[in-house]
Amino acid sequence: MATSVQTERTEPNTYATITRDVFNTIGNPGRGYYVLLGIVLCGLAIGGFSLLWQIRWGLGVAGYTPPVFWGVYITTFVFWVGIAHSGTLISAILFLFRSAWRTAVYRTAEAMTVFAVMTAGLFPLIHVGRLWYAYWLIPYPNQRQLWVNFKSPLVWDLFAISTYLTVSTTFLIVGLIPDIASFRDKATGWRKKLYSITSLGWRGTDQQWRHYTRAYLYLAALATPLVLSVHSVVSWDFAMSIVPGWHATIFAPYFVAGAIYSGVAMVITLLVPMRKIFKIEHIITVDHFENLSKLLLLTGMIVGYAYFVEYFIAWYSGNPFERASFWNRAFGEYWWATWTMILCNGALPWLLWYKKLRRSIPMLFVLSLFVNLGMWFERFVIIVVSLSFEYSPAAMGHYTPTWVEWGIMLGSFAWFFMWLLLFAKNFPMVSIAEVKEIIPLPRKKEVHQ
Amino acid sequence: MTDGMNRRGFLKVLGATGGGAVALSGCSSENAERLIPYLVPPENQIPGTATYYATTCRECSAGCGLHVKVREGRAIKLEGNPGSAVNAGKLCAIGQAGLQGLYNPDRVTAPMKKGADGQFAEISWEDAVGEIVGRLGAEAGERIAFLSGNEAGTFDALVKEWLAAHGSSRHVVYETMGYEALRAANQQLFGIDSLPTYDFSEARFVISFGADFLETYLSPVQNTRGFSEAHSFNHGEMGRYVHVDPRMGQSAIQADEWIAPNPGSEGAVALAMAHVILRDGTGNTPRDVNRVRPLIEGMTPEAAEQASGVSAEVIERLAREFTAHRSVALGGGMGAQHDAADSTAIAVMLLNYVAGNLGETVKFKLDAPAAAGSYADLMALAGSMNDGNVGVLFVHGTNPVYNQSGFGSAMANAGLKVSFSSYMDETANECDLVLPDNHPLEQWNDFRPASGGYLLQQPVMQTVFDTRQTGDVLLTLATATGNNGGGLAAANYKEYLRAEWRNIQRTVRDRQGFEVFWNSSLQHGGVVQDAGDTQVRLANSAAQAQISTWVPSGDGLTFIAYPSPTMGDGRGANKPWLQELPDPISKITWGSWLEVSPATAEELGVVSGDLVYVSSSTYRWEGDKLPVFVYPGIRDGVVAMPMGQGHEAYGRYAANGTANATNFLADGPTGFGGRSHYNTVTVEFSGGEHETLAQTMGRNRQMGRGIAQFTTLAALIDGHGEEEHGAEHAAPVPEHIEEIIDEWQEAQWDDFRDKGNYAGEHPRWAMSVDLAKCTGCNACVTACYAENNLPTVGKEQVQRGREMSWIRIERYFEGGEHGEPHEISLLPMMCQQCTNAPCEPVCPVFAAYHTPDGLNGQIYNRCVGTRYCANNCPYKVRYFNYFDHQKQGDPVFSFPEPLNWQLNPDVTVRSKGVMEKCTFCVQRIRGAQHDASTDGRDLIDGDIQTACQQTCPADAIVFGDLNDPNSRVSQLSNDERAYHVLGGLNTKPGVTYLKQVRNRAEA
Amino acid sequence: MSKSPGGIMAVFEHVDVAADSIRALKEMGHKDMTVYTPAPLHEIEEAIGHTSSPVRRWTLAGGLTGLASGFAMTMWMSYDYPVVVGGKPLGSIPPYIVIMFELTILLGALSTVAGLVFHAIRNYRAAGYDPRCSDDLIGIFVPCPVERRSAVEDMLKDKGATEVKVEV
Repeated sequence: MATSVQTERTEPNTYATITRDVFNTIGNPGRGYYVLLGIVLCGLAIGGFSLLWQIRWGLGVAGYTPPVFWGVYITTFVFWVGIAHSGTLISAILFLFRSAWRTAVYRTAEAMTVFAVMTAGLFPLIHVGRLWYAYWLIPYPNQRQLWVNFKSPLVWDLFAISTYLTVSTTFLIVGLIPDIASFRDKATGWRKKLYSITSLGWRGTDQQWRHYTRAYLYLAALATPLVLSVHSVVSWDFAMSIVPGWHATIFAPYFVAGAIYSGVAMVITLLVPMRKIFKIEHIITVDHFENLSKLLLLTGMIVGYAYFVEYFIAWYSGNPFERASFWNRAFGEYWWATWTMILCNGALPWLLWYKKLRRSIPMLFVLSLFVNLGMWFERFVIIVVSLSFEYSPAAMGHYTPTWVEWGIMLGSFAWFFMWLLLFAKNFPMVSIAEVKEIIPLPRKKEVHQ
Repeated sequence: MTDGMNRRGFLKVLGATGGGAVALSGCSSENAERLIPYLVPPENQIPGTATYYATTCRECSAGCGLHVKVREGRAIKLEGNPGSAVNAGKLCAIGQAGLQGLYNPDRVTAPMKKGADGQFAEISWEDAVGEIVGRLGAEAGERIAFLSGNEAGTFDALVKEWLAAHGSSRHVVYETMGYEALRAANQQLFGIDSLPTYDFSEARFVISFGADFLETYLSPVQNTRGFSEAHSFNHGEMGRYVHVDPRMGQSAIQADEWIAPNPGSEGAVALAMAHVILRDGTGNTPRDVNRVRPLIEGMTPEAAEQASGVSAEVIERLAREFTAHRSVALGGGMGAQHDAADSTAIAVMLLNYVAGNLGETVKFKLDAPAAAGSYADLMALAGSMNDGNVGVLFVHGTNPVYNQSGFGSAMANAGLKVSFSSYMDETANECDLVLPDNHPLEQWNDFRPASGGYLLQQPVMQTVFDTRQTGDVLLTLATATGNNGGGLAAANYKEYLRAEWRNIQRTVRDRQGFEVFWNSSLQHGGVVQDAGDTQVRLANSAAQAQISTWVPSGDGLTFIAYPSPTMGDGRGANKPWLQELPDPISKITWGSWLEVSPATAEELGVVSGDLVYVSSSTYRWEGDKLPVFVYPGIRDGVVAMPMGQGHEAYGRYAANGTANATNFLADGPTGFGGRSHYNTVTVEFSGGEHETLAQTMGRNRQMGRGIAQFTTLAALIDGHGEEEHGAEHAAPVPEHIEEIIDEWQEAQWDDFRDKGNYAGEHPRWAMSVDLAKCTGCNACVTACYAENNLPTVGKEQVQRGREMSWIRIERYFEGGEHGEPHEISLLPMMCQQCTNAPCEPVCPVFAAYHTPDGLNGQIYNRCVGTRYCANNCPYKVRYFNYFDHQKQGDPVFSFPEPLNWQLNPDVTVRSKGVMEKCTFCVQRIRGAQHDASTDGRDLIDGDIQTACQQTCPADAIVFGDLNDPNSRVSQLSNDERAYHVLGGLNTKPGVTYLKQVRNRAEA
Repeated sequence: MSKSPGGIMAVFEHVDVAADSIRALKEMGHKDMTVYTPAPLHEIEEAIGHTSSPVRRWTLAGGLTGLASGFAMTMWMSYDYPVVVGGKPLGSIPPYIVIMFELTILLGALSTVAGLVFHAIRNYRAAGYDPRCSDDLIGIFVPCPVERRSAVEDMLKDKGATEVKVEV
């Protein structure tokens, strides 16, 4: 905490310093950046090799052990979809609530959203047995004269994820336009050309702002139910089934809270190194982190409550399968996964009741890593552990992932960070226009309000 | 098809067999066996339509009749011959897997000769025959020996005649399962050396003393048919079955009471029962019983209690039950063949005798062939070879080196060793020449089972490889050596066979012309007529019978090597279907294991899956693949291991490096000439080594979930048949809720009753499975593999739970803890074809959908492999193709050439990434519908038989239309015992189970 | 720019000054000025006094189209090739609501962007532009004929414009 405060600059933010500081992020970020990029590309190579290996030989090279037909891939899919959520939450919902503090962090969160959805979207493809036929899920006129099954939660998922990807990308791009215009007006050389094209001729006229602010508001208004719906739909992939441990009405809110929880944790994980690398500590300040950690605390409490309710209902319902399933979660073969999840997501966020912790950036960083881990395990517990202990005792099994699955998962992280790094290097990671909106206006006369 | 056989080659075979088929089929006369182009369609060969040939199963000595389904010149499925007296259309798993013997990729494809370097190299048939002829010139008389398996029939006669022509009489017969104890008992008591048959029909009390009569004993399919009829619940009545054996095997699962005596003491219990019957005079005892009276009176129930640990009251009760009903006692099983097994068999026969069962439920057929050969004979041959007294040894149809390793070194002392084996098995490896015989499905031959009758075999297709029938080779040899007088002058073995059948025609007093008789026999698979029974009486030697019990010698655990219900004596070991077939008890595939009781396991400090070292006086196993299986159905202090695994040669599937149970047995014959399958061993934990069992059961107990339910006879008679057993946690749906759901259901269905394919009237295909009949024999499982082209996936994949068995027998342990009796519940689980199928709505691409006739269709070429359907299936009966099992070079390639010839052309071979499942053999449904419509008639109940139903020896499975109130399946579905598995989920399954019924002893 | 009548481009550092200038210009009868700001600033917006943006109609139209097409697509496709699954009616509204919802959002968002492009980006070449307006200055461009330039120039300078120049 102390260290982070010391690095804060005392010079106040003005319109000019903001543009300058953010513009500087696309300058030469130093060796750290390139080392990271190198690591990320290696990880991507490992992931790519694992995926090709799996495509060549079949899903058998993954660790699937019936009845666990969904494993690390779907776990990681849900994990990434969850990560994607906080981006839109911060940019859209907090926008509607007029939370001023969001402006400094929302661009990172939004970029994270887009790249997380791009990562998540790969997993259903990696997961299906014949991925070259995955396009059959799209309703298009075909020679079989067959449409898709709109009753299947997987089709909902397809619609939800692709809508989410489209809308969040649109939202990101729309938000970027004025900032790119700022960059355009400062850049030289090829970058100027790039930004001239990508700024779509933005000049910040009164007419443009007039339409822009409205459009942005409506996009936010549309994105808000969307963000709540996407993880609800993902949760219905499970809740619509009859698998004990999946079939629960609490799933939609529980998943949404969990998604925001994991997303906020990931935002913290990303912002801590980024503000350092790009030297924008004075724009993204400890106050921002404190606000994020309050959000983390709130959603963490909801998630913890959901855990409790799940167990309570399992007991209270009297359903023997449900009871057995939850007993198995806590004390069965996968007890370690469950307790990792409860420790990381249910217990550790209680530390955030302490203000000192909320304002300690190193502590928050470590905590956010634990939350990320815990949220991955939450999905693992829900998916794998429930499946391994279903109705038929004759068909219970123990699943252990193989190197192929770990390789592909590693590759997915690499894929995500690669986009993030490339984006951060070339586009404004902090919304210039919106940060300007909230700092004191450059006025001649003081206005008394 | 890429290598091994191209399209053109395939068509040639097709043409050839097509032409051959005219000769092969029963109703036509001779024809030249030559290539006929397919342009001229061969008679009886309609492409796309199957032809059936009648022949005889030779996988064991039971002699089941076969109907072989042949498509385009290839045998693709073996089914029972409905006209057979033995199996009446049913067939066990081992019998069906005969097909994989025919198409085995490890068959010897041409004659082989061992070179100076010990390696085998191919030679021509002429050279091979020349080699033998050269040697036969130098050797003569008794120095020529012929070792064979049980070949009762014409081949046996040919061997004897051939040997005689060469001056020898040394035809040694050896079967691992020779039932020497049973035969010795019959010899001692009745003076006949033959095997009995048992008539279970109407038997109300069955007691088995270590006879595994539903798995391998004598004629398992016949026994199962009779037993399931006698023991199933029928109009408030059922038989009772008590099993006395230290180990609870597959047969004993059906037992209403399992009694585990001290190992080796079953005979005492049987004799004490006879004692009680004789004392109380309750039996229909023949008058000449006085000859053996002292023998029986010596064994009081109290003395038996002393010897066996079974209380005298129980023995008294069993004796009362035995005479209160029509009853049968069985003994002399190979799994209970200890040093005193002849005593057990004598005691059991005496029990039957005093109860008056001989000639009633225990019969000796008049036309049964004399039994021949024993373990003692084999050992004598080994001794003779060691003494240098064998110049030429022929081996046919037996593999003694596998279970008698000393026999291999003895063979080294013989001169020329010639094997007729189809495989490079352990014995063939010791030989100088291997002249591969035709597979029984490629042969002309006949067989005489112990249950009587004359059974014919005919080739059902052209030979797969360059093999020759051994009979023909012997005739060629006879001609070459000039010893071809008499019958040996026959042009070929088929002629020799026909000559024999002229005699058979006289024996059975058939008065038609020979060709008519021959063709009719071919059509029916032989001559089946009841020749009547031998009236047996006590022989003089009966009084001299010695009755003893076996007492374990030395410290350690008692070891039992029992015949495996899936591998038999080891012959099945190279058939992937059988290797992947879960053992009915342990549910372990691909390898052997050691069964240990929970208390003994605790003493040894092991749990299921721990690897152990086992050593007996003769052998110590330190290989790495002998896991423990903790089994409550075995007496403390006893360990057991299935026979048939642990081959060192024989083929890619058999030589899998697991332990061979027979190696732990003592060498040397017992007093009755058999081999003791009991020994004393010590078991040590290897220390921390563990393997995942290649087991197909996730959990061994059903946790009160009511998957496999049972009730008791008493409850049914009192009208409490609905009493829940094994279903403590599966409360039924309350009636008013059920009504609401049904009403709601109707409303939903109204939407599509008139739409598309769903418009109009449709059948609702359904199935009922009577758990009171199912014996867990796995025949249905193999039938499904054969019918639906299921791939076998190998040990590693089974350890990952990826076996593809569309139908599986779930086996649940009940009780066995805290002193409760141990019982087992069974449940064949296949797709339940739910009305409200949870698998269907979750499929995004309609690969899983509901057909108008009530099936859960699965469209393989629509499936993209999301596997959601499998997650959402509460019964877990959907199977995913993790690999391209049908593709050469794939990590898990299931059909190496020519195993792919077995594939059923009516069923798609699924590719990788596709979900598959049981669809009630939809190809058979559509086939029957098509046949009915071409005949212009309606389908009638029973027209359609699913593969599992067709083969079920217990007749536990019934298939039909639920919308037809008169169909068998409709009536069974309304039975008082009917229930749906996990019915509370409102899936409305199409499969109805009838509760297992246990006939408890009256207190 | 050759066709434009030309005008005055003024640059301001302070937002209140710029707002004052706008109001003054409006009083002078210059209603078609273009104001450049680095961010949307309420004071400026108030000073200009625009009515609500028509983009909202695009959003509404797109959303309703999505809803209707979601309903039409799911229902029609269900009955076009009837396939029964799980004993459920062919056209089951509850699950289809998800699809309708997603399409509502998707088409709503896309048409909003289309509206934005149509209204805002379409006529981006207004007149003079100062690149600093995307950084920290506020620019006002007033198209005005040559004869009125000096009055406007004076007024802007007087109000406190940092820089005033004539754009042709």
